[in-house]
Amino acid sequence: MPAKNSASAPRYALAIHGGAGAAPRAQLSPEHERRYRTGLEAALDAGFTLLERGGSALDAVAAAVHLLEDDPCFNAGHGAALTRDGAAELDAAIMDGRQMRAGAVASVRHVRNPIELARRVMEKSRHVLLVGAGAEEFALEEGLPLVPNHYFRTAERLEQLEAEQRGRHVSDLMPAAAGTVGAVARDGDGNLAAATSTGGMTNKRPGRVGDSPIIGAGTYAKNGVCAVSATGHGEYFIRAVAAHHVCAAVEYRALTLEQAVRELLHEILAALGGDGGLIAVGARGRIVMDFSTEGMFRGARDSSGRQEIAIY
Amino acid sequence: MSRPKLLALLGVGLAAAALAEEPRPLAIVIHGGAGVIDPAKMTPERAASYRAGLAAALDAGYAILERGGTSLDAVMAAVRIMEDDPQFNAGRGAVLNHEGDAELDAAIMDGHGPRAGAVAAVRHVKNPVELARLVMEKSPHVLLVAEGAEEFALEQGVALLPRGYFRTEGRERELEEARRAESERLHAASLPGSGTVGAVALDAAGHLAAATSTGGLTDKHRGRVGDSPIIGAGTYADEACAVSGTGQGEFFIRQVVAYDLCALVEYRHLTVGAAVREVIHEKLRHTGGEGGVIALDRNGNIAMDFNSVGMFRAARDSRGRRDIAMYRDAR
Repeated sequence: MPAKNSASAPRYALAIHGGAGAAPRAQLSPEHERRYRTGLEAALDAGFTLLERGGSALDAVAAAVHLLEDDPCFNAGHGAALTRDGAAELDAAIMDGRQMRAGAVASVRHVRNPIELARRVMEKSRHVLLVGAGAEEFALEEGLPLVPNHYFRTAERLEQLEAEQRGRHVSDLMPAAAGTVGAVARDGDGNLAAATSTGGMTNKRPGRVGDSPIIGAGTYAKNGVCAVSATGHGEYFIRAVAAHHVCAAVEYRALTLEQAVRELLHEILAALGGDGGLIAVGARGRIVMDFSTEGMFRGARDSSGRQEIAIY
Repeated sequence: MSRPKLLALLGVGLAAAALAEEPRPLAIVIHGGAGVIDPAKMTPERAASYRAGLAAALDAGYAILERGGTSLDAVMAAVRIMEDDPQFNAGRGAVLNHEGDAELDAAIMDGHGPRAGAVAAVRHVKNPVELARLVMEKSPHVLLVAEGAEEFALEQGVALLPRGYFRTEGRERELEEARRAESERLHAASLPGSGTVGAVALDAAGHLAAATSTGGLTDKHRGRVGDSPIIGAGTYADEACAVSGTGQGEFFIRQVVAYDLCALVEYRHLTVGAAVREVIHEKLRHTGGEGGVIALDRNGNIAMDFNSVGMFRAARDSRGRRDIAMYRDAR
């Protein structure tokens, strides 16, 4: 059915984030800002092009997150935050709202694109979540080559780790926990999908898993309701079952997506003391992007002409 | 009105009602897994032994509540006893993964807070539920996995045990059978995950808690994590509702079963019984998922239901109820 008012009901839509908790505006140099914007734009365009060609929401979120993982600006894949031992440990999840299928991996150290492995878990295994060495064994069984851990390490992340370990929280680039990446999409057939990928917190304890790979916490998608990808202080998002909370508020209490997101971030998580942000897309393609931190790297594009990249 | 404010008001109202009438209810509900042994193969001796195991866990948890202890202590005590009991698929006697090792997952959640802790894919920790509680109380995190979780255990002074401690002859036989079945492509016919243990409790202060512990699936892929340690999937508690699940974990994760059930209670105002029915017999069955849950609300209303052959379960409360059952007809 063609929408009468295309501005209110886009046929397809994609939103992405590159993490909440952006550095205070004054500290982000124009050069850095340009790098982030370029990275977000590339990911947004890659995913959106798929949707334009009739591709699925699932392919669009996977493509966008894949590019953000490869971009060293963001805390996922290459350029991920480092654990207290100086290694990258990566978490990712993907969910297809069509059949509510999901795949996730946590604490992997040698998989170039964790989002790709998460998708394999969803499509090629009986399971939803694989962790640690077992997840990497599965990667090998699936023919994904492993890379040495130093592939992920960048000079900037090492500096951040050292600063954190010296007890200085400062970073003129980005704060410690920021930079998780994610995407949500609605395709032309009305299917929803969500994907999230992260290196977690700088100086984290090895084995610590945040909300990104937890279905219902950092990542969730259900056709006819909404798709959500979150970023922020993961422990709070897990306790609040954040992503599912947003969908349950829309489904059971008939809140608008905006209201549901606002309640979660500014009432429930705020009361618990956790901050962060999230992006969501509703059943009819409405995009919501909100955060309780100073900023959130984000971008949105839809078939009715909306196109934006923003940080603050 | 915000949810915390609403809950606070509800709490005040209920506290006033409780003062006017009877003392606050106490309750504990436990499970020892859904999809239990085919009734035809259940001998009277085995049935008696399972009942004794459930009774020991139930009564230990209830005794804590009766002495004025917290629901958190009660669920932990009940789960720890079942972890130590080799009949159940948790701790010693957990099912074995494809490599023949036990890989254990557990979570605990204190509805008052809410606070939560969980561990997954640990191989050398005698009582994973205790480590989950240490994660909740002694770390800023919620979920620790694999070697990192065991490193944390050592830092907390928790002794690690050799993998042989967890392995029992019965589980080794099951693994052999599963491997044979896999090669004969019959694997899908067997219900995995039976024997997961869990508990939910309500204490005298009106606080709810939930805990779940499991070895997961027989012949599972190394590193596979099910719903038990996932807050909102297999384990959840807040001020209004507490849930522990058991069954095909992948379905429980995708549907965020435990939190969804509480959302139905809180937002659709269903009773826990109705919410459990909707989640287990409608939503879960609709997607082909098998399993069961136990749930408890802040007034001590108990729900235990499953869509599998049976579910080892038991409940006890301050109104005098004390049941132990395995199959549909309360046997």
